[in-house]
Amino acid sequence: MSGRTTNISDALMAAQGYVNSLPADNGLWLTEQRRAAIDKLFDLGLPQSRQEAWRYTDVQGLLEQGFITSDEAAEIPLDEVRQQLLKEPVAARLVFVDGLYQSELSETNAAGVHIDSLRGAMAKADQATLQAVGSLSGAGSHGFAALNLATMQDGAVIRVEAGSKLEQPIELLHLASRNATGRSLRPRHLIILEADAQASLVERYLALDEVSYFNNLVCEIVLEQGASLYHQRVQQESRQAYHLSDLHLGLAADSHYRGVNASLGGLWSRTNINNRFNAVGAVCELDGLYLVDDEQLADYHLDVDHAVPGCASRENFKGILNGRGRAVFDGRILVREQAQKSDAHLSNANLMLSRQAEIDTKPQLEILADNVQCSHGTTVGQLDSQALFYLRSRGLNEDQARRLLCMGFAQEILDRFETESLREALSESIHARIEASNSNSN
Amino acid sequence: MLSIKNLTANVEGKEILKGIDLDVQAGEVHAIMGPNGSGKSTLAHILSGRDGYEVTGGSIDFKGEDLLELATEERAHRGVFLAMQYPVELPGVNNMTFLRESLNAVRKARSEAEIDAVSFMKLVREKARQVKLDEKLLKRSVNAGFSGGEKKRNEILQMAVLEPTLAILDETDSGLDIDALRTVADGVNMLRSPDRSMLVVTHYQRLLEYIQPDHVHVLAGGRIIKSGGKELALELEERGYGWLLEEVAA
Repeated sequence: MSGRTTNISDALMAAQGYVNSLPADNGLWLTEQRRAAIDKLFDLGLPQSRQEAWRYTDVQGLLEQGFITSDEAAEIPLDEVRQQLLKEPVAARLVFVDGLYQSELSETNAAGVHIDSLRGAMAKADQATLQAVGSLSGAGSHGFAALNLATMQDGAVIRVEAGSKLEQPIELLHLASRNATGRSLRPRHLIILEADAQASLVERYLALDEVSYFNNLVCEIVLEQGASLYHQRVQQESRQAYHLSDLHLGLAADSHYRGVNASLGGLWSRTNINNRFNAVGAVCELDGLYLVDDEQLADYHLDVDHAVPGCASRENFKGILNGRGRAVFDGRILVREQAQKSDAHLSNANLMLSRQAEIDTKPQLEILADNVQCSHGTTVGQLDSQALFYLRSRGLNEDQARRLLCMGFAQEILDRFETESLREALSESIHARIEASNSNSN
Repeated sequence: MLSIKNLTANVEGKEILKGIDLDVQAGEVHAIMGPNGSGKSTLAHILSGRDGYEVTGGSIDFKGEDLLELATEERAHRGVFLAMQYPVELPGVNNMTFLRESLNAVRKARSEAEIDAVSFMKLVREKARQVKLDEKLLKRSVNAGFSGGEKKRNEILQMAVLEPTLAILDETDSGLDIDALRTVADGVNMLRSPDRSMLVVTHYQRLLEYIQPDHVHVLAGGRIIKSGGKELALELEERGYGWLLEEVAA
């Protein structure tokens, strides 16, 4: 750790230094994009709380950590990593430890899909694929995203061939080890589903050790015409970690993206999901669950742009807030003037388990077209005293009743995690967290 | 089994119960009737330990214990069960899970072993058949989207599974058509036993055609103004509550 607060000139110097350190022959390491991103970082600066998009999510604590950009590898605890793999059979698997691809733990040979690590693709100068890097995100819409592009380290590059239908999920597992302490990790994923391809992806961010690091990641997903992706995403970082995730979706005609998110870990986490409809008939479904307690922060920013007619979007996010936990939900749906026959529904429900917890929720529907079906709803509430009484009158004590009701609240989203071991693990984590908070409050 | 002595209680500072005396022996079914606002539901809720009621005097003895000293769940552990007038919907809470956790909580409190999953399934299926509750409803969220009749049958199912010693039925007939009423009453009758007492709180006599009480009490203005056998219920059906209130006032 540098031991000092990172400011914009530190960030620019670190990015510059990183780019200069790369073997920049013939631009194979995407030097041009990286330099453009440094320029963008210079223009944007680092996020500040006076900017509306960052008003409730202070980055000061993150900057004070002085995380450093370094790719130094350490020995990988293989057995510990293996224990974290999905129990179900997978079509392919990419494992990253501290941001770096681990080939010995990965399986990339699957019919109908081309898989590589970002480093591998850069080393092979796979220009055809890599030209898509940044195609949805641009050079970055905020300083950290620009920093990711400038200093992107490694990641998954997945291209599912046209018409290919994968029966089993592709697993993308990202683990942080003790070696990540004090470092800024910059994974970058690119996922392309060609026309009429079908796939499912399980993307997880876990920690092997309770250490402090910054995971600053960007994921771009391109769905070509008629393609369909089911995407399960889990953030269970170390409770001392900072996690910033930008997900960009580009949906072509008649494509279907279905994503379900869970954010349980980290000290500070923010997920930006940006969906762009590029042609008619596309569907985007987003579900999410966040749980915060102690001094945790979880932030979801959704930006769904109905730029073309005849597309449907649905967002349903639920949060459980305990202790001094804080959450931010900002769901923006823009239905542009030409986007007739759009269907857009946004819902955010929050369950407050403590008086010290705080939620800032902001659904924003901006509708410029007149022939649309749109709705939004937000609720902030506590456990229902009638429901608690009902359960207690059947013999459950207060803690059991609270836990059952909290699990009931979360169940709607948990059910969207179709991979059984994943759903069960999430359910157990939430269960344990609520149980622990019950015993703390007693 | 249950002995209520001179019970007085307030709701939001207003005196609702003004001295209730009631003795219920094991195996007896008592009906508590009375006009709206007479305090029937208040009595049912106080027995089950619901918040929002201030007991200002009197006592409730249940099997030798001071019931008022016990938390709601402790009363459930001792065998008190309230079938609610408006069963609460619990979205996301699986009916089966709810039943199993309840049964195990009660068994645990009684130092009995928890029931294993297989035996529990068998038990619940059998009880559901008895109370004519569609098995599909067991897999759904508790009461969520259930019809009025299904909710009441679900209450009776819980009662059948938990096997209370004192079952309080609070306006169980409200909102039910005659067929649903019959099914619910059949379920209740099946649960009558020499060691189980029941308190049937109702506004109307019609439920008592199906669940025949040993004793009928009329509650009005926070007091039991008349007690009698099941013929009292019939008289109330014919003549309403008016004459009785006048008789008491006179």
